[in-house]
Amino acid sequence: MTALLDIRGLTIRAGDKPLVSDLSFAIRPGERIGLIGESGSGKSMTAMAATGLLPPSISATGSIELDGRQVVGATDKVMNRLRGVAAAVVFQEPLTALDPLMKIGRQIAEPVRRRMERDGGKASKEAVNREVRDLIDKVALPQPDRIINSYPHEVSGGQRQRVAIAMALACRPKLLIADEPTTALDVTTQAEILKLLDRLVRETGMALLFISHDLPVVAQVVERVIVLKNGIAIEEGPVGSVFGKPHHDYTKTLVGAARLFDEALGTTGS
Amino acid sequence: MSPVETSVSTQKRRHSLALTVGLLLVGINLAVALLTLFWTPYDPLNASGGRLEAPSLLHWLGTDRLGRDLLTQLMIGARTALLVGTGAVAIGAAIGVSLGVVAAFATRLADDVMAATLDILIAFPTLLLAMLVVAASDSASLWTAILALGLAISAIVARLTRILAKRVLRQDYIVASRTSGTSWAGVVFRHVLPNIWPTLSVNFALQFGLAVIAEASLSYLGLGAPPPNASWGRLLQEAQGTVYTAPIGAIAPGIALVALVIGMNLLADGLRDIADPTRGRSR
Ligand SMILES: Nc1ncnc2c1ncn2[C@@H]1O[C@H](COP(=O)(O)OP(=O)(O)O)[C@@H](O)[C@H]1O
Ligand SMILES: [Mg+2]
Repeated sequence: MTALLDIRGLTIRAGDKPLVSDLSFAIRPGERIGLIGESGSGKSMTAMAATGLLPPSISATGSIELDGRQVVGATDKVMNRLRGVAAAVVFQEPLTALDPLMKIGRQIAEPVRRRMERDGGKASKEAVNREVRDLIDKVALPQPDRIINSYPHEVSGGQRQRVAIAMALACRPKLLIADEPTTALDVTTQAEILKLLDRLVRETGMALLFISHDLPVVAQVVERVIVLKNGIAIEEGPVGSVFGKPHHDYTKTLVGAARLFDEALGTTGS
Repeated sequence: MSPVETSVSTQKRRHSLALTVGLLLVGINLAVALLTLFWTPYDPLNASGGRLEAPSLLHWLGTDRLGRDLLTQLMIGARTALLVGTGAVAIGAAIGVSLGVVAAFATRLADDVMAATLDILIAFPTLLLAMLVVAASDSASLWTAILALGLAISAIVARLTRILAKRVLRQDYIVASRTSGTSWAGVVFRHVLPNIWPTLSVNFALQFGLAVIAEASLSYLGLGAPPPNASWGRLLQEAQGTVYTAPIGAIAPGIALVALVIGMNLLADGLRDIADPTRGRSR
């Protein structure tokens, strides 16, 4: 089966400084992959490169094929047909990722309407509204009437992240990129959002690129992991073998830190 | 109620008071302006009493040097002021917002050129710019004054729009929206314009007030709308020589001018609070 996202020899530079060096990996339809590494290791840059949204001052070389289309050097017009369709993104900080002056109902309705028009159908107001309610239901947001008419600052952090997930789902993407989707949330909410993401990915059969610096979190939702350090992939493989028998010292410290953390909490590990 | 809630609600009440007073002041002005289209107490162009009569039941604000009813002149001045303010801000907003948004998207070089040009234009006092345009056109009319003021405003609005739009474009939610396939046009109309509108609208109100004052200055200098368009600025100019004998001639248009400018600013403040639900709350 051909890969949904096929990254080969990707190098990302800010001026002369390499942020990501010669990175290669592929995600097949329905596959769930974790990209882990400490803060600043180039995870978000990789995600932005995959959707062709690197800041203007940052350049990418190599090859990124998203749903069979080359992303590196692609025009905005080409990319706009891929964004949302091939891949959608959920970000770390749900407050800043939502427009502060747009009611939540309308924010979810935008990608819904776009998807309906893209699929050739006419997006009637009723159909869009029905779909928005459906999505709110899917991400288990309470009191849909209140949520629809609220602004982002009027709901909780966990609820905001559910809204962001609903917006990503609205696109019905083949690949969901989740860039540290639980990092900004408290521990209980983290667990809920993880469970939700896990359920939604399984239900819809979309592929998942899960980005995190938090090893136990990644282990819960993905099958394979890539360990990134200073923009270089240092280890890759199934979750069990990478975490069970880490080869690289860096991975060992990550695993060790996670284990210490679990012991401190008195849990048996996840 | 917690102290935080109390302070938010007092703040809200104060805001809605500002909105009410603003609406009232601007509303009265608008109503008077519309009324003059159909009816004025006296003929604005011809004498209807003695010269410089003091206020009386017949002439509530007295008469001017030529024996014309001052209240009638003042009412027509309200129409001129609204026309000038609205027209100049409309022109300034149309040109300024478009240029500002384009500049916000432009490449580094084009943006620098535009920013420098705007800075130079803004360095010219509005009044001087307006005087140049009026002088360049062969006959002074209300419309050349409006156009001149509109152009001067457009430079100010363009610079503000550019800065505000750039700030919005740097926000995470723009990238987030782009990842789901929103085009640049969609970004401008759904995110950038709504998010800069609260600040812009307040600036429009400020520019409205400045335009009305600038038109009065132009009229005062004899560069504004020629008769028969009564304007508050010309009333002030005409009252200049008789300010000690008949001070009402200067006081009345002065108060009208200040009331409209304050009303417009209060109105804009109130509207901004409606447009921006995040204001006045902790975020
Ligand atoms: N606009 C930028 N210009 C230059 N360097 C940047 C820019 N944004 C981020 N970086 C750098 O790129 C590196 C990788 O960042 P990022 O991908 O966000 O890391 P991660 O998501 O793994 O925490 C960091 O060292 C960061 O300092
Ligand atoms: Mg990151």
